[in-house]
Amino acid sequence: MTRMPMQHEPLWRRALRAWFDPRGHDLGLIAFALNRLSGIGLTAYLLLHLVVLTTFIRGESAWQGFVTLAKSPLFVAMDAVLILGMIIHGLNGIRVTLIGLGFGARHQKTMFALVMAVGLVVFLVAMYVIVFVK
Amino acid sequence: MQKPITHQRRPGTWIWQALSGVGLLILLTLHMLANHFIREGGLQTYQDVVAYLSNPLIMVLEVAFLAVVTYHALLGVRAIFTDLGLSDRTMTTINRVLTVLGVVMVAWGVFLTLYIVRLGA
Repeated sequence: MTRMPMQHEPLWRRALRAWFDPRGHDLGLIAFALNRLSGIGLTAYLLLHLVVLTTFIRGESAWQGFVTLAKSPLFVAMDAVLILGMIIHGLNGIRVTLIGLGFGARHQKTMFALVMAVGLVVFLVAMYVIVFVK
Repeated sequence: MQKPITHQRRPGTWIWQALSGVGLLILLTLHMLANHFIREGGLQTYQDVVAYLSNPLIMVLEVAFLAVVTYHALLGVRAIFTDLGLSDRTMTTINRVLTVLGVVMVAWGVFLTLYIVRLGA
């Protein structure tokens, strides 16, 4: 297949490249892509969460079975990914909101770095609580 | 370089995304704290969950959280479709599908909540 010239590239492909192709893009766009990816992941989790909680209707033993499964190392690892997604999306959301309201657009890169640093600390504290505090 | 297709959504929509997002920072924090720290060791048994949701304040918190998080998530999904530059007709269909999905999700959560509360009554 021959590669089509840029201006004939379909809009959806141009959009996908604009979001997710980091080449030649600055930090702001990487932050945007991170926010989109985490948002899609969190939306998928929300749907899954609603479906899984429906187990409750199937009675006490079905529920206990789910709780036991949720305590397995694989599920705790998935919890870690979930928490990371929530932290990145939530903290970056604060940054995007501030910029949207007209604050700190000049410092958005510094703000992104700050958000990620704070996020890392929050993530480590959350993991400590999950793994060591019973 | 071509300008990235990122912010062609209807002006004004982002403010709702931002407002609901700020609300979620509070509601999600309360949701996590309430689920994992009110009862020592967090909610675990069937009876724990029934007792938890039977508290009217908790019920209001959980339903409010579900409504706001569903709105915020589906508004985000809509923004992704908006950025794809689809036709007005397709966008109208997508809006309708997302609205129905959102209503079903919240209704499902409310049904589950009421079902669980009835178990304790």
